[in-house]
Amino acid sequence: MIGMDEKLSFFKNGLRLDGRRPDELRPIKIEVGVLARADGSCYMEMGDNKVMAAVYGPREVHPRHLQEATRAIVRYRYNMASFSVEERKRPGPDRRSNEVSKVSREALVPVVLTSYFPKSVVDVFVEVLQADAGTRTAGINAASVALADAGIPMKSLISSCAAGKVDGEIVLDPMKLEDNFGEADVPIAMTPNGDITLLQMDGRLTPEEFRRALELAKTGCQQIYEIQRKVLVDRYSSMDVPESCDESEGLVEEGI
Amino acid sequence: MSDVVMAEIRKDYLYHLVLKGERADGRAFDEYREIVLETGPIRKADGSALVKLGNTQVMVGVKIQPGEPFSDTPNKGVIITNAELVPLASPNFEPGPPNEVGIELARVVDRGVRESGAIDLEALCITPGEKVWIVFIDVHILDDCGNLMDASSLGAIAALMTAKVPAAQYGLGEDYPLPVKDVPVATTAVEFGDAVIFDPDTDEESVADTKLTVITTADGSVCGMQKSGPGFISQDHIYRIVDIACERAKEIREKFLEV
Amino acid sequence: MDRMDRNVVVPGDRLSDDPKKAGEGTYVMDGKVCSLLYGMASSYKDKVRVIPLAGKYVPSPGDTVIGTVQDIVFSNWIVNINSPYEGLLHISELPRKIEMNEMSKYLRIGSSVMIRVKDVDSTMKVELTLNDRRLGVLTRGRVAEISPTRVPRLIGKGGSMINMLKKELNCNIFVGQNGRIWVDGNDDDMDLALKTILIIEKEAHTTGLTDRIMEFLRTEKEARS
Repeated sequence: MIGMDEKLSFFKNGLRLDGRRPDELRPIKIEVGVLARADGSCYMEMGDNKVMAAVYGPREVHPRHLQEATRAIVRYRYNMASFSVEERKRPGPDRRSNEVSKVSREALVPVVLTSYFPKSVVDVFVEVLQADAGTRTAGINAASVALADAGIPMKSLISSCAAGKVDGEIVLDPMKLEDNFGEADVPIAMTPNGDITLLQMDGRLTPEEFRRALELAKTGCQQIYEIQRKVLVDRYSSMDVPESCDESEGLVEEGI
Repeated sequence: MSDVVMAEIRKDYLYHLVLKGERADGRAFDEYREIVLETGPIRKADGSALVKLGNTQVMVGVKIQPGEPFSDTPNKGVIITNAELVPLASPNFEPGPPNEVGIELARVVDRGVRESGAIDLEALCITPGEKVWIVFIDVHILDDCGNLMDASSLGAIAALMTAKVPAAQYGLGEDYPLPVKDVPVATTAVEFGDAVIFDPDTDEESVADTKLTVITTADGSVCGMQKSGPGFISQDHIYRIVDIACERAKEIREKFLEV
Repeated sequence: MDRMDRNVVVPGDRLSDDPKKAGEGTYVMDGKVCSLLYGMASSYKDKVRVIPLAGKYVPSPGDTVIGTVQDIVFSNWIVNINSPYEGLLHISELPRKIEMNEMSKYLRIGSSVMIRVKDVDSTMKVELTLNDRRLGVLTRGRVAEISPTRVPRLIGKGGSMINMLKKELNCNIFVGQNGRIWVDGNDDDMDLALKTILIIEKEAHTTGLTDRIMEFLRTEKEARS
């Protein structure tokens, strides 16, 4: 925490340092199918966070002994580029990226129908190109879209977002400055139905504040879900299809 | 995750095309794919560049931080180049520290920057023997569709040319642009039967046995070379590659690096 | 909210409130039929189903596919069939009997074959067979790859699209269920064939495609003459 004689106020006229209201998300940019080699891919920006997610699979598992007889295994590797953070980071995994990988995988696995592809692996890779608090949530969002792009059968997409407490106020999607000097951080991930698949918390909150933070984070996830869905749907709807035609004729009627 | 054996029918087709003077995507032997260069996409880095060379995509970030000089060069700044061939970029890349391919890529990119004198190391000295600027060049491969070398080198020099030394945050004066004194550009070709083919894509790279990278400076001198791959290379081809390399590098320099 | 208003759906989109209508590519939760896939939703007979827009090929007995030999291990060729699962061709599944030491001569690493999936067991062991006159080694022509999800459209209802292509392009064309396609003809015809196939792959989900392709071929052939 910075010295008390020079207290930085995180609010001015009810708005945050970057002009947002307490319940507002940072601007989001999202693109699907951006990599040629990967089976599925998604590039996402949430505020100053820039992440690239790619999915390979289902594919053969190497080493073989990791495979499971009745279903696919899911692997998730979260990695930060050396230039993504303020002070250059030594390349390679560290304890933090290891933990982020684990909880992120566990955020997605509940919706992936792994029984469709026994003895195979679905590999999810997330590279953080620029970090500004919330990279794990951005990663999960991008990964979810990349999984759909790869054609992986899932019960639904997963959307992820964090809420925090800054200067006594509960805020949505804290940026780095708010996260560093804030009193709490609650990242979550959920299905569009509200089933929670990621929940972490650090800091200090009363149970009531925690409830408010969780509800706020859920509203963030719902907004993000609509953005994720739209980028997937728009990709195929943007082609010239005459309005009067019965759209179901396309891929469906003639081929089967 | 290992390389899949390429169908002979595909290999035969590529050779058949070469005999006709053609390539699968219709390019001439010495023609490059479309290049898109974006500088500064990573604002938090001191310099950065995203290079798209056909479908190959590479992100290069430059971070400049004060540190200790090497004991044998107390007055010189330090350049450290690393390349991460992350598994996201190709089904053939495995997680883990760089293997020999990644290390070779980083060292050849470094060679171009260092041997061309693009960065004046003595100008990076802050306090002789104690403090100098360390320039980290980090190559992050995003999509391997062939010719990572040229894409990475281009990204490196573009990131350096648009980099700022962040003196202010270390109380060492105002931020200023990193002084870059030359513009090395790498050009890579593979040997394909009797032909020499520039800017190989994924298939061309897997079929060819031999690859040669030539790095040239703004005045057309050669400042770095690397033959890679388990095959022979004829002297004839070497000279042909060097000649075309100078031309291509000049075009790339003029078009993308405004030199 | 029902998502049948737009045809493209994502996993989790609700398609119907009647669980009896659950067809391929869907699942039922809380009495609602939802999409499992990123694909095109449609009503077919009295079921609602989702056709995938992306995904890998999973071999099914009876499928004819194009494979590439990767390795020879004892009495089996290991064949890549563009799937998370590799195929095994046993020495006994050839049209004629050969000795184990002749295996490489008959079919070597890197060879491409038009081959059939004989059986897929519960452990995902994929057995292939060449024992059919219509199957065999591909020695000429070219092989291209498209997303296996676009194969039905490339074939067309009752073969309408593929037969039209074979006629207009003057090429032999074989479409493997695994997304690999073999074409054989003269160089220019094969170039046009593959160019056309890539367009079909890209626009498979749109309407009026067959007519547009016929028009495209007409213009291309006119330009050539």
